[in-house]
Amino acid sequence: MRLEKCWFCSSTVYPGHGIQFVRNDAKIFRFCRSKCHKNFKMKRNPRKVKWTKAYRRLHGKDMTQDTTFEFERKRNRPERYDRNLAENTLKAIKKIVKVRADRESNHIKNRMKGNKSAERKRDAKELEQSIHMVKAPLTLEKDPSYTLPKIQEKVHLRSEENRMEE
Amino acid sequence: MAASIWCLAGRSLLGGLGNSSLGVLRMSSELTRSDLLFQQTRTFIQMGTNLKVVDNSGAKRVKCIQALKSKKGARLGDIIVASVQEINPAKEVKKGFMSSTVKKGAVVHAVVVRAAMPRGRCDGSQIKFDDNACVLVKYVGGEYEPIGKRVHGPVPHELRKKKHVKILSLAGHVA
Repeated sequence: MRLEKCWFCSSTVYPGHGIQFVRNDAKIFRFCRSKCHKNFKMKRNPRKVKWTKAYRRLHGKDMTQDTTFEFERKRNRPERYDRNLAENTLKAIKKIVKVRADRESNHIKNRMKGNKSAERKRDAKELEQSIHMVKAPLTLEKDPSYTLPKIQEKVHLRSEENRMEE
Repeated sequence: MAASIWCLAGRSLLGGLGNSSLGVLRMSSELTRSDLLFQQTRTFIQMGTNLKVVDNSGAKRVKCIQALKSKKGARLGDIIVASVQEINPAKEVKKGFMSSTVKKGAVVHAVVVRAAMPRGRCDGSQIKFDDNACVLVKYVGGEYEPIGKRVHGPVPHELRKKKHVKILSLAGHVA
Protein backbone atom coordinates (compact mmCIF):
# COMPACT_ATOMS: atom_id res chain seq x y z
CA MET A 1 0.00 0.00 0.00
CA ARG A 2 1.39 3.37 -0.92
CA LEU A 3 0.15 6.84 -0.15
CA GLU A 4 0.48 8.87 -3.32
CA LYS A 5 0.38 12.61 -3.89
CA CYS A 6 -2.28 14.22 -6.00
CA TRP A 7 -0.66 15.72 -9.07
CA PHE A 8 -2.77 18.83 -8.94
CA CYS A 9 -3.19 19.83 -5.32
CA SER A 10 -0.42 17.73 -3.69
CA SER A 11 -2.66 16.26 -1.04
CA THR A 12 -2.26 12.57 -0.15
CA VAL A 13 -4.33 10.07 -2.06
CA TYR A 14 -5.35 7.25 0.25
CA PRO A 15 -6.16 3.79 -1.12
CA GLY A 16 -9.66 3.60 -2.52
CA HIS A 17 -9.73 7.21 -3.59
CA GLY A 18 -9.08 9.03 -6.78
CA ILE A 19 -8.37 8.39 -10.41
CA GLN A 20 -5.11 7.52 -12.12
CA PHE A 21 -4.66 8.77 -15.64
CA VAL A 22 -1.92 7.19 -17.72
CA ARG A 23 -0.81 9.27 -20.65
CA ASN A 24 0.60 7.64 -23.76
CA ASP A 25 4.13 8.70 -22.86
CA ALA A 26 3.66 6.52 -19.75
CA LYS A 27 3.48 9.45 -17.35
CA ILE A 28 0.99 8.69 -14.58
CA PHE A 29 -1.14 11.47 -13.14
CA ARG A 30 -2.89 10.75 -9.88
CA PHE A 31 -5.76 12.84 -8.64
CA CYS A 32 -7.26 12.85 -5.19
CA ARG A 33 -10.74 13.85 -6.27
CA SER A 34 -12.76 14.89 -9.27
CA LYS A 35 -12.15 18.57 -8.55
CA CYS A 36 -8.46 18.16 -9.29
CA HIS A 37 -9.19 15.82 -12.19
CA LYS A 38 -11.56 18.30 -13.82
CA ASN A 39 -9.09 21.13 -13.38
CA PHE A 40 -6.47 18.99 -15.06
CA LYS A 41 -8.78 18.27 -17.96
CA MET A 42 -9.34 22.01 -18.29
CA LYS A 43 -5.58 22.24 -18.73
CA ARG A 44 -5.10 24.53 -15.77
CA ASN A 45 -1.62 24.98 -14.46
CA PRO A 46 -1.55 24.08 -10.73
CA ARG A 47 1.11 26.71 -10.20
CA LYS A 48 -1.48 29.34 -11.07
CA VAL A 49 -4.40 27.92 -9.14
CA LYS A 50 -4.47 29.53 -5.76
CA TRP A 51 -5.62 26.73 -3.50
CA THR A 52 -2.99 24.20 -4.58
CA LYS A 53 0.19 23.46 -2.68
CA ALA A 54 2.20 24.13 -5.83
CA TYR A 55 0.98 27.74 -5.93
CA ARG A 56 1.53 28.24 -2.22
CA ARG A 57 5.06 26.94 -2.31
CA LEU A 58 5.90 28.93 -5.41
CA HIS A 59 4.61 32.18 -3.92
CA GLY A 60 6.24 31.66 -0.53
CA LYS A 61 2.98 31.21 1.34
CA ASP A 62 4.02 27.83 2.70
CA MET A 63 7.34 26.55 3.94
CA THR A 64 9.50 25.11 1.18
CA GLN A 65 12.94 24.33 2.55
CA ASP A 66 13.11 22.38 5.75
CA THR A 67 14.97 19.38 7.10
CA THR A 68 11.72 17.59 7.93
CA PHE A 69 11.06 17.21 4.20
CA GLU A 70 14.28 15.26 3.80
CA PHE A 71 12.79 12.32 5.67
CA GLU A 72 10.11 11.83 3.08
CA ARG A 73 12.20 11.67 -0.08
CA LYS A 74 11.38 8.74 -2.36
CA ARG A 75 14.12 6.17 -2.09
CA ASN A 76 14.15 3.49 -4.73
CA ARG A 77 16.22 1.06 -2.72
CA PRO A 78 14.02 -1.21 -0.59
CA GLU A 79 15.21 -1.57 2.98
CA ARG A 80 15.69 -5.01 4.47
CA TYR A 81 12.98 -5.58 7.04
CA ASP A 82 14.12 -5.01 10.59
CA ARG A 83 11.52 -5.00 13.32
CA ASN A 84 13.30 -2.47 15.49
CA LEU A 85 13.82 -0.16 12.56
CA ALA A 86 10.17 -0.37 11.61
CA GLU A 87 9.07 0.36 15.18
CA ASN A 88 11.40 3.34 15.51
CA THR A 89 10.33 4.68 12.15
CA LEU A 90 6.68 4.59 13.15
CA LYS A 91 7.43 6.49 16.34
CA ALA A 92 9.56 8.96 14.44
CA ILE A 93 6.86 9.61 11.84
CA LYS A 94 4.53 10.94 14.51
CA LYS A 95 7.15 13.26 15.91
CA ILE A 96 8.30 14.50 12.53
CA VAL A 97 4.75 15.29 11.48
CA LYS A 98 4.22 17.29 14.66
CA VAL A 99 7.49 19.19 14.23
CA ARG A 100 6.72 19.96 10.64
CA ALA A 101 3.22 21.21 11.46
CA ASP A 102 4.66 23.49 14.14
CA ARG A 103 7.25 24.88 11.78
CA GLU A 104 4.70 25.47 9.06
CA SER A 105 2.35 27.37 11.37
CA ASN A 106 5.33 29.43 12.55
CA HIS A 107 6.19 30.25 8.99
CA ILE A 108 2.65 31.48 8.36
CA LYS A 109 2.63 33.44 11.62
CA ASN A 110 5.88 35.15 10.71
CA ARG A 111 4.48 35.99 7.33
CA MET A 112 1.44 37.64 8.92
CA LYS A 113 3.51 39.45 11.54
CA GLY A 114 3.46 43.08 10.42
CA ASN A 115 -0.23 42.98 9.68
CA LYS A 116 -1.74 44.28 12.89
CA SER A 117 0.57 47.26 13.31
CA ALA A 118 0.24 48.13 9.62
CA GLU A 119 -3.52 47.99 10.00
CA ARG A 120 -3.48 50.25 13.02
CA LYS A 121 -1.33 52.77 11.21
CA ARG A 122 -3.68 52.77 8.27
CA ASP A 123 -6.70 53.21 10.49
CA ALA A 124 -5.07 56.09 12.37
CA LYS A 125 -4.27 57.82 9.11
CA GLU A 126 -7.80 57.33 7.85
CA LEU A 127 -9.19 58.76 11.07
CA GLU A 128 -6.98 61.79 10.76
CA GLN A 129 -7.87 62.44 7.14
CA SER A 130 -11.54 61.59 7.02
CA ILE A 131 -12.84 62.67 10.42
CA HIS A 132 -14.98 65.23 8.62
CA MET A 133 -17.14 62.38 7.33
CA VAL A 134 -18.49 61.58 10.78
CA LYS A 135 -17.93 64.71 12.82
CA ALA A 136 -19.04 68.16 11.81
CA PRO A 137 -16.19 70.73 11.55
CA LEU A 138 -17.81 73.02 14.13
CA THR A 139 -17.88 70.29 16.77
CA LEU A 140 -14.32 69.44 15.78
CA GLU A 141 -13.25 72.99 16.57
CA LYS A 142 -15.01 72.88 19.92
CA ASP A 143 -13.75 69.45 20.82
CA PRO A 144 -10.56 68.71 18.87
CA SER A 145 -10.32 65.02 19.73
CA TYR A 146 -11.09 62.19 17.31
CA THR A 147 -13.92 60.83 19.40
CA LEU A 148 -17.57 61.55 18.73
CA PRO A 149 -19.58 63.57 21.30
CA LYS A 150 -21.80 61.62 23.62
CA ILE A 151 -25.48 62.06 22.91
CA GLN A 152 -27.89 61.96 25.83
CA GLU A 153 -31.40 60.66 25.30
CA LYS A 154 -34.29 60.72 27.69
CA VAL A 155 -35.64 57.27 28.44
CA HIS A 156 -39.20 57.19 29.77
CA LEU A 157 -40.23 54.45 32.15
CA ARG A 158 -43.53 53.25 30.73
CA SER A 159 -43.43 49.71 32.09
CA GLU A 160 -46.48 50.14 34.40
CA GLU A 161 -48.64 51.45 31.60
CA ASN A 162 -47.56 48.58 29.30
CA ARG A 163 -48.52 46.04 31.92
CA MET A 164 -51.91 47.61 32.28
CA GLU A 165 -52.40 47.53 28.48
CA GLU A 166 -51.82 43.79 28.49
CA MET B 1 -32.16 8.04 -23.28
CA ALA B 2 -32.16 10.34 -26.27
CA ALA B 3 -29.38 12.34 -24.67
CA SER B 4 -27.21 9.25 -24.38
CA ILE B 5 -27.69 8.39 -28.07
CA TRP B 6 -26.79 12.00 -28.90
CA CYS B 7 -23.76 11.54 -26.68
CA LEU B 8 -22.67 8.45 -28.61
CA ALA B 9 -23.16 10.25 -31.92
CA GLY B 10 -21.32 13.26 -30.56
CA ARG B 11 -18.50 11.03 -29.41
CA SER B 12 -17.93 9.55 -32.83
CA LEU B 13 -17.84 13.07 -34.29
CA LEU B 14 -15.53 14.21 -31.56
CA GLY B 15 -13.43 11.09 -31.90
CA GLY B 16 -11.54 12.77 -34.70
CA LEU B 17 -10.76 15.83 -32.61
CA GLY B 18 -8.06 15.47 -30.05
CA ASN B 19 -8.07 16.50 -26.43
CA SER B 20 -6.48 19.84 -27.29
CA SER B 21 -9.49 21.16 -29.15
CA LEU B 22 -11.76 20.14 -26.31
CA GLY B 23 -9.63 22.25 -24.01
CA VAL B 24 -9.97 25.22 -26.35
CA LEU B 25 -13.74 24.81 -26.48
CA ARG B 26 -14.03 24.87 -22.72
CA MET B 27 -12.57 28.30 -21.95
CA SER B 28 -14.83 29.49 -19.13
CA SER B 29 -14.72 27.76 -15.79
CA GLU B 30 -18.50 27.41 -15.59
CA LEU B 31 -20.04 24.18 -16.80
CA THR B 32 -22.83 24.82 -19.27
CA ARG B 33 -25.10 22.15 -20.67
CA SER B 34 -22.95 21.84 -23.77
CA ASP B 35 -19.95 21.33 -21.50
CA LEU B 36 -21.66 18.39 -19.85
CA LEU B 37 -22.09 16.86 -23.27
CA PHE B 38 -18.43 17.49 -24.10
CA GLN B 39 -17.30 15.68 -20.95
CA GLN B 40 -17.29 12.37 -22.66
CA THR B 41 -18.81 9.47 -20.82
CA ARG B 42 -16.37 6.81 -21.86
CA THR B 43 -17.92 3.40 -22.43
CA PHE B 44 -16.95 -0.06 -23.50
CA ILE B 45 -15.18 -1.14 -26.63
CA GLN B 46 -17.92 -2.56 -28.77
CA MET B 47 -18.71 -3.44 -32.35
CA GLY B 48 -17.47 -0.67 -34.58
CA THR B 49 -14.88 0.75 -32.18
CA ASN B 50 -11.62 1.68 -33.81
CA LEU B 51 -8.51 0.77 -31.89
CA LYS B 52 -4.90 1.60 -32.38
CA VAL B 53 -2.53 -1.32 -32.74
CA VAL B 54 0.58 -0.93 -30.62
CA ASP B 55 2.69 -3.89 -31.54
CA ASN B 56 4.83 -4.47 -34.57
CA SER B 57 2.63 -7.04 -36.26
CA GLY B 58 2.12 -4.64 -39.16
CA ALA B 59 -1.46 -3.52 -38.59
CA LYS B 60 -2.13 0.10 -37.66
CA ARG B 61 -5.85 0.39 -37.08
CA VAL B 62 -8.34 -2.27 -36.24
CA LYS B 63 -12.10 -2.22 -35.91
CA CYS B 64 -13.79 -4.29 -33.25
CA ILE B 65 -16.26 -6.85 -34.52
CA GLN B 66 -17.12 -8.63 -31.34
CA ALA B 67 -16.21 -8.27 -27.69
CA LEU B 68 -15.77 -11.75 -26.31
CA LYS B 69 -17.07 -12.52 -22.83
CA SER B 70 -19.41 -9.58 -22.43
CA LYS B 71 -22.68 -8.44 -23.91
CA LYS B 72 -21.95 -4.80 -23.12
CA GLY B 73 -18.50 -4.63 -24.55
CA ALA B 74 -14.83 -5.08 -23.85
CA ARG B 75 -12.91 -3.28 -21.16
CA LEU B 76 -9.28 -2.92 -20.27
CA GLY B 77 -7.59 -6.31 -20.55
CA ASP B 78 -10.33 -8.11 -22.43
CA ILE B 79 -10.08 -9.92 -25.73
CA ILE B 80 -11.90 -8.82 -28.84
CA VAL B 81 -12.36 -10.07 -32.36
CA ALA B 82 -11.39 -7.40 -34.83
CA SER B 83 -11.04 -6.66 -38.50
CA VAL B 84 -7.87 -5.03 -39.75
CA GLN B 85 -8.62 -1.63 -41.27
CA GLU B 86 -5.23 -0.16 -41.92
CA ILE B 87 -1.77 -1.64 -42.15
CA ASN B 88 1.66 -0.11 -42.12
CA PRO B 89 2.75 0.48 -45.72
CA ALA B 90 5.43 -1.96 -46.93
CA LYS B 91 7.92 0.89 -47.51
CA GLU B 92 8.11 1.60 -43.78
CA VAL B 93 10.07 -1.53 -43.02
CA LYS B 94 12.53 -0.21 -40.43
CA LYS B 95 14.53 -1.99 -37.82
CA GLY B 96 12.04 -3.44 -35.34
CA PHE B 97 9.16 -3.30 -37.82
CA MET B 98 8.32 -6.49 -39.66
CA SER B 99 6.65 -6.16 -43.00
CA SER B 100 3.04 -6.78 -42.31
CA THR B 101 2.11 -10.31 -41.35
CA VAL B 102 -1.56 -9.40 -41.37
CA LYS B 103 -3.51 -8.39 -44.42
CA LYS B 104 -6.09 -5.66 -44.64
CA GLY B 105 -9.52 -7.03 -43.93
CA ALA B 106 -8.21 -9.99 -41.99
CA VAL B 107 -10.14 -11.08 -38.92
CA VAL B 108 -7.89 -11.27 -35.88
CA HIS B 109 -8.12 -11.53 -32.13
CA ALA B 110 -6.74 -8.72 -30.03
CA VAL B 111 -6.18 -7.84 -26.38
CA VAL B 112 -7.19 -4.38 -25.23
CA VAL B 113 -4.15 -2.86 -23.56
CA ARG B 114 -5.30 0.73 -23.23
CA ALA B 115 -8.86 1.88 -22.77
CA ALA B 116 -10.20 5.38 -22.28
CA MET B 117 -12.91 4.01 -19.99
CA PRO B 118 -11.87 4.03 -16.33
CA ARG B 119 -11.42 0.60 -14.81
CA GLY B 120 -11.59 -0.07 -11.10
CA ARG B 121 -8.55 -1.51 -9.41
CA CYS B 122 -8.72 -3.88 -6.46
CA ASP B 123 -7.49 -1.14 -4.09
CA GLY B 124 -10.50 0.98 -5.01
CA SER B 125 -8.85 3.52 -7.29
CA GLN B 126 -9.65 3.99 -10.97
CA ILE B 127 -7.24 3.93 -13.86
CA LYS B 128 -7.74 5.20 -17.37
CA PHE B 129 -5.65 5.83 -20.43
CA ASP B 130 -5.57 8.41 -23.14
CA ASP B 131 -6.77 6.26 -26.03
CA ASN B 132 -7.99 2.81 -27.05
CA ALA B 133 -5.22 0.47 -28.08
CA CYS B 134 -4.79 -3.23 -28.59
CA VAL B 135 -2.22 -5.90 -29.28
CA LEU B 136 -2.98 -8.56 -31.88
CA VAL B 137 -2.93 -12.11 -30.57
CA LYS B 138 -3.35 -15.60 -31.92
CA TYR B 139 -5.24 -18.37 -30.21
CA VAL B 140 -2.63 -21.10 -30.01
CA GLY B 141 -3.20 -24.27 -27.99
CA GLY B 142 -5.64 -22.81 -25.48
CA GLU B 143 -3.61 -19.64 -24.86
CA TYR B 144 -3.52 -16.27 -26.53
CA GLU B 145 -0.06 -15.37 -27.76
CA PRO B 146 0.94 -12.05 -29.25
CA ILE B 147 1.72 -12.00 -32.96
CA GLY B 148 4.17 -9.11 -32.76
CA LYS B 149 7.54 -8.94 -31.07
CA ARG B 150 7.39 -5.46 -29.53
CA VAL B 151 4.78 -3.43 -27.69
CA HIS B 152 4.79 0.37 -27.62
CA GLY B 153 3.50 2.59 -24.87
CA PRO B 154 2.27 1.77 -21.38
CA VAL B 155 0.23 -1.33 -20.52
CA PRO B 156 -1.76 -2.00 -17.37
CA HIS B 157 -1.21 -4.49 -14.56
CA GLU B 158 -4.54 -6.07 -15.35
CA LEU B 159 -2.89 -8.19 -18.02
CA ARG B 160 -1.14 -10.26 -15.40
CA LYS B 161 -4.38 -11.49 -13.96
CA LYS B 162 -5.65 -12.29 -17.42
CA LYS B 163 -2.52 -14.37 -18.01
CA HIS B 164 -1.08 -12.20 -20.79
CA VAL B 165 2.34 -12.40 -19.24
CA LYS B 166 4.15 -12.34 -22.58
CA ILE B 167 2.69 -8.95 -23.47
CA LEU B 168 3.75 -7.59 -20.07
CA SER B 169 7.30 -8.75 -20.64
CA LEU B 170 7.38 -7.11 -24.08
CA ALA B 171 6.00 -3.83 -22.78
CA GLY B 172 8.14 -0.76 -22.21
CA HIS B 173 6.18 0.56 -19.26
CA VAL B 174 3.71 -1.19 -17.01
CA ALA B 175 1.22 1.23 -15.50
